[in-house]
Amino acid sequence: MFVLAMRSVRQRPGRFLATLLSAFLGAVIVMMFNSLQDTAGQAGVDAVSHDTLSTSASVVGGYGTLLVFFAVASTLTVNVRQRTAELELLRCSGATPAQIKRMVVGEAVAVALIGAVLAIGPAMLGGRLLLDAFQDSGQVARSVDYSFGVFALDSGIAVTLLAAAGAAFLAVRRATRRREQRGRARTLLAYAALGVGGVSVLSTFAFSAKDAALMAPPAYGAILLSVGFALLAPRLLKGVLDRLELTGASGWLAVRNLRERADHLAGILMSLILFTAMATATLYMQAVESDAIEASGLTKSVDAKNLESLNLTVVGIIVVFVCIMLVNSLYAATTYRRREFGQQRLAGATPGQVLGTVGAEGLIVTVVGVSFGTVAALAGIVPFTLVRSDSVLPHQGFGIYVAVVALAVAVTLGTSLVTARRALRAPAVEAVGLAA
Amino acid sequence: MFRAGSRRTQDTGPAAEALRLVKVSKTYGTDGGAVKALDGVTLGLGRGTFTAVMGPSGSGKSTLLQCAAGLDRPDSGIVRVDGTELTGGSEAELTRFRRGRIGFVFQQYNLLDTLTVAQNTVLPLKLAGQRVDRRRAREVLTQVGLGDRLGHRPGQLSGGQRQRVAIARALVAEPRVIFADEPTGALDTRSARDVLRLLQEAVRVHGRTVVMVTHDPVAASYADAVLFLADGRLAGRMDAPNADAVAERLAHLGDDVTAGV
Repeated sequence: MFVLAMRSVRQRPGRFLATLLSAFLGAVIVMMFNSLQDTAGQAGVDAVSHDTLSTSASVVGGYGTLLVFFAVASTLTVNVRQRTAELELLRCSGATPAQIKRMVVGEAVAVALIGAVLAIGPAMLGGRLLLDAFQDSGQVARSVDYSFGVFALDSGIAVTLLAAAGAAFLAVRRATRRREQRGRARTLLAYAALGVGGVSVLSTFAFSAKDAALMAPPAYGAILLSVGFALLAPRLLKGVLDRLELTGASGWLAVRNLRERADHLAGILMSLILFTAMATATLYMQAVESDAIEASGLTKSVDAKNLESLNLTVVGIIVVFVCIMLVNSLYAATTYRRREFGQQRLAGATPGQVLGTVGAEGLIVTVVGVSFGTVAALAGIVPFTLVRSDSVLPHQGFGIYVAVVALAVAVTLGTSLVTARRALRAPAVEAVGLAA
Repeated sequence: MFRAGSRRTQDTGPAAEALRLVKVSKTYGTDGGAVKALDGVTLGLGRGTFTAVMGPSGSGKSTLLQCAAGLDRPDSGIVRVDGTELTGGSEAELTRFRRGRIGFVFQQYNLLDTLTVAQNTVLPLKLAGQRVDRRRAREVLTQVGLGDRLGHRPGQLSGGQRQRVAIARALVAEPRVIFADEPTGALDTRSARDVLRLLQEAVRVHGRTVVMVTHDPVAASYADAVLFLADGRLAGRMDAPNADAVAERLAHLGDDVTAGV
């Protein structure tokens, strides 16, 4: 089975590009930040520098691990779903479910290993730049030398491989299991996340404006709320669709298509909600924090600076990963609909109407995702701003929010429309004839 | 050239000749590997006729159907549907030309899985921006025997039932010509018979014109006339066909061509 796995990777490198990219970026981030741990562990590093380095390493390293897991899981789920026919063929040729599982996991591990090895060079470079940045801002002493050691290398490779194997295992199990009954567990988890998130957000009011940990409860609360919304995403989408009646053939088709495909769109909606909530909440809270420090006339302490750089780094990482996940799943989902587009064209839809339908679908999904993400973000921002600065909303204006939303819209609509346009290039009759 | 937008040509009344092809040629590929799929085909089909087009694989049947139905553009020659010449370049223009003039029934049904039976049936009207007469749609679906399946999805229907939805969809838009591409190719004999009877009915009761590409002599025997095609050219015609005669003729089609008929 492993030989088969290797062969299938070699024959279709393109299909694994998204997985490779997420494994590579994940490994870069994990190694880059864990090399700070190596740097901190050297002899003769002072306590403040050590603190800065190891805090960044553990926080971002942890986030990185989680993101690698989610990103690889998302790309592999898409990959496995696209290959249902191939896997079915293998099953008919006498492959046991365990063998198929081993093949998919084998592929994922092979791809992840390549990604991790490729990541070593860029991670060393990135780690050095990171240390320079910390030294320039005075968070780390000038005397500290950069070190890329055993911990960075081992943890980077181990995390990437384990995340890939685990994600592949889940993806193939989801694909080979006939009907899922995880509906109830999912709902329960969603309500738990919403409940704990709500409590966490409210507990912000128990802190005073000067507390160092003030940002933690609203930030975690917003994240948990967005996770809750994300888990309920298909149901939220259906609820919106039931109240939505668009006129025009494209809109009419879009609403009906989405109603049928709501469950398939869960991943895309989830990415959109998490992205909007985390980016908006973190960026605004950081802005409020910076303003508050400035207003008090103090200079930022090393701790405050650490918090800021961590916040910005985490948002940056999330943005990159969510973009990969969104582009990958939307590209796959839209390419998969080639036949459906052909059928619409044969029923009398002009290419413009097909694109109109895809655009309307993309817009509805984006609006729903961004809206619920915004609700979660506000739930974190408002309590934090109230406690920290006595106003309800941050004074930063809509600039950050507009940028976040614009990015979400651009990625979602851009990917679906460009992919759909390409799918329309083949004559309708041919598109319909492709692998029924 | 094209009547404004998606309006149907009802106002001018149907032309006497539903379909006219004049010296239509189509070549696939370039230079070395070029294949002449259609080689100067000229034919005319009257309104309210049921014609089968037959020929061996690679004879140009499908190309003929696609060129005549405005799915593909011929390299040269004239295609006239219901008296209006098919010109225009872009896919959007061809699509607008087909609306109201041409209906399709395919071997693979080509129904949208996300829509119900009733929604699939009215889809061409929706896309053409026409008022949707739900009562009429229900009537037509009842005629094809699916009056009790309006809310079902194509996935819940048998092959024969799906093909009947496709026929209802083609009928509701009241096109001048219905093109059927191997409509019984994926069906068992009983479902095939139902589908062929419905196509016959479309011609005899509703006055539509049906052109059906098939390789099945039994299917062809439901038509009023059979046109034989070989190597991209017309190779004969048979009126009031029966299955045995069609099969016989088909078996010797190659001989005729080499003999230069």
